[in-house]
Amino acid sequence: MNKIFSYIFAILTIAAFVAFVIFRQTSDFSFASFKPYEGLITQSIWNTIYVSLISLLGSLILGFVFYLFSISRFKYFNALTDVFTEIIYGTPLLVLVVVMAFVVGPAFGTFNRNVMGFGALIVYMTPYMKNVYKSAFSSISEEQYMAMDLFGFTPFQRYRYIIIPQVIRILMPPLMNNFSMIIKGSALLSVLSYNELYYSIRVAQSVTFAFVEGYILMWVLYLMITIPLSQATKYIERKWAL
Amino acid sequence: MKIEINNVSHTYDVEVLNNLNLSLSKYKSVAIIGVSGSGKSTLIRMMSGLEKPTSGDIFINDFDVRDDAYKKKIGFVFQSHNLFPHLTLKKNITLVLEKTRGFEKKAAEEIALKNLKLLHLEDQINKLPKNVSGGQAQRASIARALSMNPDIIFLDEPTSSLDPILTHEVLKAIEELRELGKEFVIVTHVMSFARDFADYIIFMYEGKIIEQGLPSILDNPQTRELKEFMEKVR
Repeated sequence: MNKIFSYIFAILTIAAFVAFVIFRQTSDFSFASFKPYEGLITQSIWNTIYVSLISLLGSLILGFVFYLFSISRFKYFNALTDVFTEIIYGTPLLVLVVVMAFVVGPAFGTFNRNVMGFGALIVYMTPYMKNVYKSAFSSISEEQYMAMDLFGFTPFQRYRYIIIPQVIRILMPPLMNNFSMIIKGSALLSVLSYNELYYSIRVAQSVTFAFVEGYILMWVLYLMITIPLSQATKYIERKWAL
Repeated sequence: MKIEINNVSHTYDVEVLNNLNLSLSKYKSVAIIGVSGSGKSTLIRMMSGLEKPTSGDIFINDFDVRDDAYKKKIGFVFQSHNLFPHLTLKKNITLVLEKTRGFEKKAAEEIALKNLKLLHLEDQINKLPKNVSGGQAQRASIARALSMNPDIIFLDEPTSSLDPILTHEVLKAIEELRELGKEFVIVTHVMSFARDFADYIIFMYEGKIIEQGLPSILDNPQTRELKEFMEKVR
């Protein structure tokens, strides 16, 4: 109960700040001019969620592959992971998106920029996902694996009953962190004219000239995506742990 | 218990076991002693099939320790309790019984309860390992090993991470198990316990068995190495 009150007060604090800022405004704000673009913006919200989920799934898979590379007995795979990670860490996502869509894609004969843009997001997130796996799985001691082996758990049982329930709590917070990085990062796909949230608002702004309102609308809409997602993650975390 | 160890060597980065041979047939509880790094833990892990030797064969009670069937005949107690940390003491036992031994939930719970009671843990069954003392957790892991109804129980320095009082508590619990008619192999640093509990002693030094025999060898060591060791641990 105490916790709930703490949250209510925290939200009230932020609301008070917002109210103060709104009260102090001298110019008028009107979001009405965005009304004709409702359909475009709604579609873009779904596109943002869609591209984020695809990128999450893709980077979870590719990240796991690179995690396996990083623990491989073959030194070549360890080195490959290191070099790849180093390059991605120093690469701005915007640059990666442009290079993937306009340079790498055509080299492989694809001019589908959206697909390459999704790919850029996946590649960009891969090292971060690899780290999530690394920290999670290293929390299970070698002796626990020995015990699982001794008792004769099948690989499925090991993951289902022993490993995942233990790592899920460790895995979830950084995973959510990465997911919000993906959602915000998806805004950069606007350079490919992919109709995600950032792009659709920019399109509307270019006609309505309501720049500030547009960005505020964009902000609120992003929060409407990220907050339910992070709450859902916390729910899963509670449910799965133990 | 029948133990046959033939030309067993093991190398991690350095050689840990060096061409070990051992043949025993009539002893019920065997203690392995020696300084840290002498290869005791490696030996007990190989005897239980947890680790594979680089070369050589091990047969216990006529089972090749590499056989999967052998794993169902033994229990193993680790240095640190090694209970699954996300499960209560009871669930640590019932999960294994239900998933790997095919027991119904109710039967599994009965077995878990019986063995936890045997180790005087009836008040702790629904606690997580982190919420009980080190000695209680170690006793729970002994209860878990017992619940698999093994013929042989291997204990790898079960008290090394415990203070003297908890050590006493755990060793007393192990003593009581002798009445169950199980066979034991134990690695231990507590000489008084080895002397009372074991009916055969193996002394290891630098990856080799230097001296072996009845517990009386501890009072009357024949080799310089065991003599020095006994002076140090006394």
